[in-house]
Amino acid sequence: MPFLSHGSYRIRYELDGPAGAPAYVLVNGLTQYSELWGAYRDALIARGFRVATFDLLGQGISDKPALFINQDDHIAVLHRLIGELGTGPIFLSGISFGGLIALRYAIEHGERLSGLVPMSCFAELSPQLLLIGNALRTGLILGGTSYLQDLLLPMNLSDEWLKPLLDKLDSVKRQGWLVNDVYALQNLMESFLDFKPLTPQLSSIALPTMILNGEFDFLTPRALHETLRVEIPNSALVIIPKAYHAFTLEKAALTANLLARFAEDVMAGHWQGNKQVLIASEDPGGALVPFPEGYDHLRAIPVQRGAT
Amino acid sequence: MSTFFGPLEADGRVPPRQQTRVAAFLVSAHGALARQFGLALPARFEAAWQTELNAQFYRESEIVSLLMRATIWIPDFALGPMAASWEMAWLPTPIDGMTDHAHAQTIHLATLAHAVHAGIRPAALMPTEANANDPFVMALRRIEFESSRLLQAQILYLKGPDLVPFRDAVSTALERRHAEVRRLWTETLESIGISFASDTKP
Repeated sequence: MPFLSHGSYRIRYELDGPAGAPAYVLVNGLTQYSELWGAYRDALIARGFRVATFDLLGQGISDKPALFINQDDHIAVLHRLIGELGTGPIFLSGISFGGLIALRYAIEHGERLSGLVPMSCFAELSPQLLLIGNALRTGLILGGTSYLQDLLLPMNLSDEWLKPLLDKLDSVKRQGWLVNDVYALQNLMESFLDFKPLTPQLSSIALPTMILNGEFDFLTPRALHETLRVEIPNSALVIIPKAYHAFTLEKAALTANLLARFAEDVMAGHWQGNKQVLIASEDPGGALVPFPEGYDHLRAIPVQRGAT
Repeated sequence: MSTFFGPLEADGRVPPRQQTRVAAFLVSAHGALARQFGLALPARFEAAWQTELNAQFYRESEIVSLLMRATIWIPDFALGPMAASWEMAWLPTPIDGMTDHAHAQTIHLATLAHAVHAGIRPAALMPTEANANDPFVMALRRIEFESSRLLQAQILYLKGPDLVPFRDAVSTALERRHAEVRRLWTETLESIGISFASDTKP
């Protein structure tokens, strides 16, 4: 199990696939750990990519600072990891908390990337997200990691995914509970206390950018992704049908396929963001179709754009 | 070497030798905290935060009481020297740049409590097949849950505005405490055939 150094701390990472191939770097969400990208690793390697995953500082098998984690630490760690990947094309993707780290990295080190895929992401804390974040932190403090998982699972996954697992949720939660410590998760969450909106800097991201948002994402709804679409010049927003916030867990084959196609399009010079709004197919490999002309993609009912 | 207790007994209980060694360590650590919180308690409270000190004192005492009653104790002749090394480790150590004795004492107690409450997760040693109705199993779950609640007082204090001028010294002292407590915990677990998960790093 290889480790990177970040000061006195060690960061566990994994690098798979052929050296010299275009690389995908995948950044975990808050309560995740790198094994959760296993299906992506297999799918992307099969498409000729190299795949880098890691546990964030304070997460999984990486070291856990006792008291403070700064968001700058995550950018520095990511920079070290990307430094391990040589000079070939690098595509960066992250989900939720990890999407935010990916966004910041693209703002600060965009020249090192070939493409960016923020998923279930945000550039600023809306009042709803701020209050939900505070409530989740309180839940962690009062009820521990297990209670935080109890809150996140129904919020972020569909009935279809949950239903067959209802009588074995403890086993679903167990690995996340084992590898993530309360104090370390709390430190990660509290690294948001001085969060500054990224919106004013988004326009500096010149990279091809595919923004992925679940149709039913409750935690980071469409409006938060819309900020990214509007501000990042060469971006397109892709809506994942019937998906919630944690669609990377639930729809791994579909999402991995989208990631591979995006990178292949970029490398072939075919990607055109044009701030489009697209809808992904429900099946991996299906066509992306434009959101119906004239209708407001920020609404949950078919309302024509401009109508009140 | 497993990362969990076991092999379990036929009724799903943790073997008494493992119970004894782990409970002895926890009694030593939480007992030390109970004593130190007890010594820090004034007879009459002058500040609101002292109510939390009172709570910490009684919760630590409760953990010791719980372990005394929930554990299947067996004679363990290796415990003498081990317990002596544990007790020495809980004593205050100097904090760089901190000349105010009272302040240093408070930081010592907070860093020790943080390291014990955050760094020791006894419930995470429990395999899935452990008997959930066994008192020892229940006790360890309760201790881990209660530790994460108790920890909040240490987090508030150590991250609080009073210690901002000493942030580096406090962080260094805390990381040192974590490393020391983790080392002792790891050694204790290894002595009963359990490999501490975080210690699998190269």
